Amino acid sequence: MKINIWHLSSLLISFLVLIPIITVFTSFFENTSNYYEVLKNTFLMEYIFNSIVLLISVLILTFLIGTGTAYLVSFYKFPGCNFFKWALILSFAVPPYIYAYSLTAFFENYGTAFTILKNLLGDANYNKNIPKFDGMIGAILSVSFSLYAYVYILARASFLYQSQNLIDLGKNLGFSKFSTFYKIILPAARPAIIAGLSLVAMETLAEFGAVDFFSINTLTTGIYNSWIHFDDLAFANRISFFLLLFIFSLFILENLSRRKAKYHLNSRGGFKNKVQNKLFGRKAFLASMFCFLIFFISFLFPLGQMLYWTIKFPQNLFDLKIIELMLNTSYLVILSSLILIIFSLISNYGNRVSRNKILNFLSTLSISGYAIPGVILAIAFITFIAWFDNNIIKFLEFNSIKKVFIGSILGLVIVYFVRFYSLAFNGIKSGYEKINISVDESAYLLGYSKRKTFMNIHVPFLRNSLVFIIILISLEILRELPITLILRPFNFETFATTAYISASEDLLEAAAVPSLFLILIASFLIIVTSKYILKESYE
Amino acid sequence: MNNNFLEIKNVDFKIGNKTKVKNVTFSIENEGDIICLLGPSGIGKTTILRTIAGLENIDKGSIILKGKTLSSEKIRIEPENRNISLSFQENSLFPHYSIKKNILLGADRNKAIKKQKITFDDLVDFLNISEILNKYPHEVSAGEAQRASLARSLITQPDLLLLDEPLSNVDQSFKEEIQEKLKKLLKDLKITTIIVTHDSYEAFYLGSKCGIILDQELKQFDDPYNVYHLPNSIEVVNFLNRGTLIPAEVTSPKSLENKDLGTITGNFVKSFPIGSKVKLLVQPEDLHHDDKSNLKFHIIDRKFRGTNFIYTLKTPSDTIIPVLVHSHHIHQHEVDEKFGIKRPIHIDHIVCF
Repeated sequence: MKINIWHLSSLLISFLVLIPIITVFTSFFENTSNYYEVLKNTFLMEYIFNSIVLLISVLILTFLIGTGTAYLVSFYKFPGCNFFKWALILSFAVPPYIYAYSLTAFFENYGTAFTILKNLLGDANYNKNIPKFDGMIGAILSVSFSLYAYVYILARASFLYQSQNLIDLGKNLGFSKFSTFYKIILPAARPAIIAGLSLVAMETLAEFGAVDFFSINTLTTGIYNSWIHFDDLAFANRISFFLLLFIFSLFILENLSRRKAKYHLNSRGGFKNKVQNKLFGRKAFLASMFCFLIFFISFLFPLGQMLYWTIKFPQNLFDLKIIELMLNTSYLVILSSLILIIFSLISNYGNRVSRNKILNFLSTLSISGYAIPGVILAIAFITFIAWFDNNIIKFLEFNSIKKVFIGSILGLVIVYFVRFYSLAFNGIKSGYEKINISVDESAYLLGYSKRKTFMNIHVPFLRNSLVFIIILISLEILRELPITLILRPFNFETFATTAYISASEDLLEAAAVPSLFLILIASFLIIVTSKYILKESYE
Repeated sequence: MNNNFLEIKNVDFKIGNKTKVKNVTFSIENEGDIICLLGPSGIGKTTILRTIAGLENIDKGSIILKGKTLSSEKIRIEPENRNISLSFQENSLFPHYSIKKNILLGADRNKAIKKQKITFDDLVDFLNISEILNKYPHEVSAGEAQRASLARSLITQPDLLLLDEPLSNVDQSFKEEIQEKLKKLLKDLKITTIIVTHDSYEAFYLGSKCGIILDQELKQFDDPYNVYHLPNSIEVVNFLNRGTLIPAEVTSPKSLENKDLGTITGNFVKSFPIGSKVKLLVQPEDLHHDDKSNLKFHIIDRKFRGTNFIYTLKTPSDTIIPVLVHSHHIHQHEVDEKFGIKRPIHIDHIVCF
C-alpha cells in the first residue's frame, strides 16, 4: 500500500482522537488517592444513578416535545406554522447552563416571577406559592428545552420525506388519523428519531454547566470535581471510564440508526409530495398554542429573563469587556475553523480519490471525538501531556512542554479539534456526496488535473458547505464550556466562561449580560443557517 | 507492426480486484470507425470504457491508441492526458455550472491545438438543447442531461469517443432521429467511437462492428450482419433472443432433417459430418408462411411489431418455432388456429451447434 498525504493526515487525526480514549482506559488501572476508595463506596453509585435519572427524563421530554412539534409542522397548516418550522430550532442558541440561570432567576425567592406578581397584584408573600425548579427537576428542564431540537430536526426531516402514498395507504386500509400516525408515520421515522435521541443522550451525559449549577452529582461533574477540588487526575479518568462506556453504547446505537435513517426515502419514481392538512378553529388554535408554548419556554423565556436583568442592572453591561470577549471568541473560531476545514478537506478528498478501505476506517475513527464529553477530552489531554512530558520529554532532556499545551490557545484548539472534527468532516462529506464521482472523472477526461479538478470543481461547489461549517463551529465554540474552562490560558475568557464564573459566584445578574450576548449571537448564526440546517438534516 | 487505430490486446478488465471481462482482444482499424459493445447489464461493458479512458488500471495486456501505449502492466497514462472523451450513462454534468458552461468547458480542451470542426451552435441545434442552455443540471430531465453530456463530449473532438448508453434516457420518439444524426455527425467529423448499449438494434445501426460480451468474455466481434445471422455460439443466440434452436440430423453436406419440419436445405456456415445430431438455429425470417401448405402447426402466440407479425408455433413434438409475416399479409391468424409453413424449406445460411 502506498502511504501518502491522505493516510498521514488521517492517521494524525485518528491518533489525536485516540489519545483521550487510550488515556482513560489505561488510567483505569492506575493507583489513585484514597479518596477513590471512599467515593467508590459512597458517591460513585450516586453519580451513576443521577446520570441515569437525568438521561431517562431528558429522553422522554425531548421525545415528546421534539416529535410532537415536528409532527404538527410537517403534517398540518395552522397559523404561524411556517414561522415555527425554523423558530423551534432557536432553542439551540440557549445552552443548558444559561437556561438553568434563567429558570433560577425567574422562580427563586424574590425572583422575576415574584416581581411580576407583586407589580400585578400588590405586596404579598408569593414565594411560597411560586414553584421552585431547582435540583434534578431544574436540570432536566434546562437540558430538555435546550436539546429537544435535535429530535425535532431529524424527526421533521423524516416526516417531510415520507411519501404521501404511505399516508394514503393508511387511509385506504381504513386507519384513523391516530392509527396512521402510530402504525405508519412513527415507525417509518423511528430510525431518525432514535438518531436524534442518541445525540440528546450523548449531550446529556456530557452536560456540565447546568448540572454543576444545580449541584447535581453526575459522572461529568464528578470528573471535574475530582480534578479541580481533589487534584486527582487518575480518579477523574476512572470516572471517565464509566461515562465512556455509556457513551460508546449510545454512539453505536446512533450510528446504527443513522444508517437506517433513510430507509423510507424513495428518491425517484413513486414519491408523492405530502399534502399538509389545514387545521381550523379549535384544532388550529391548539396546534399554534402548543408550538408557541414550546418556542416561548425554550427560547423567549431565557432570552427575556437575560434581557430583563441586563436592563435592570445596566452596570454589568458596562463592566463587561464585550470587545475583548468578541475578539477572544473570534480568535478561537478562526483558528479552529481553519485547521478543522483544512484537515477535513484533505481527509475527504483523500477518501474520494483513493477509495481506500483503511483510509475510510481511519476517517470513521477520527470523527468519533464528538461523542466524547468535553470534560473527558480536556482532562485526558492534560493527563496525556503530563505523561508525555514526564516520561518522553524528560528522558530526552528537553524543556517541559506542559506550558505549550496546557493553559494555552494551542491546547484549547487541539481539543476543540478532536471534539468538533466530525462537524467539519461530515459537513464536507455531505457536500461531496452531492458531487457524483463521474463528475470528477468527466473533469479528468476534459483534461483537468487532480489539482485543477479540486480547485475549479470541488471548491466552488463546496463553498456553501464551508460557510455552513464555519457557522456551526462558531456556534459550538460560542456555547462550549468545560473544555474552555479547563484549558483556557490565564485571563482568557469567552462569553460562556464569563457567564459560568459569575453564576458560580452566585452573581446571576452579572451572568445575564454575557449570556444575553451569547444567545443573541447564537440566534443570529442559527437564523442565517436555519434553511441549511433544516435542509441538510435529510440530505 | 500493424497500423490499427486502436488495439486492445489480451486485456483483463477489472474494477478493483474483481475481474469483469477476461482476456479481451479487438481492434478498430480506421480513424472514424464506430464500434458497439453489446451485453446484459452488469457484465462489464462500462468497465471496458472506463479502462480505455484511463479511469481503471489493467495488470495484463495492453491498450494502444494511434500506436501509443496508453495502458499496460507497466504503463499508465493519466485520463487527462489521453484525449479520450467518455460520456457517462448517468448525469456527470458539473452541478454548479449551467448547461451552456458545461458544454463550453469541453470546447476549451482542444481550442489551442485543433481547428473546431463543429461549433457549439451546430451541436445545440443537432441535439435540440437550445431551451435548456441557461438551466442548471438539476433543472433538466435525465434525457436532456444526457444530450448535454453528449454535446460536451462531442465538442472536445477527442481522438476516441466513448459513449456509455448514450441514448438510454432519450424518448423513443426522438431516439431514431438522434441515432441518424449522431451516426452522420461522427462519420463527418471522423470521430472514432466505441458505443456501449444493451439495445441490439441501436448497435446494429450505429456500429460497423459489434462486440458481444457474455460470461466474462468477448464472445463475438464481427459485422452486425454476421453477429445477427451467423452467431458463433449458443450464448450469443440466447442473448440476441431472435431465434430458436431445434434438434436436427445432418443428412448431406447441404441438408438436414427435423422430425417436425422435415428436410431443410441450405449452405452450412460450419460443416458437420453426415449423421451428426445438431441444434439448428431457426430465426423468424427463415421460414415462410403459406396458407396452402399441408405443413401446419398450432399458433400459441402472436406479436404485432408494426411492420410485421411474429407468430409463435408449437410443433407436435413441443418445439417452439417463430415465423415472421409481413403485417400487410392478406389476412391474420388467431391464436389456436393452424398455420401453414411453405415447403420445401430452404435457409440461406444454416447455423448449427
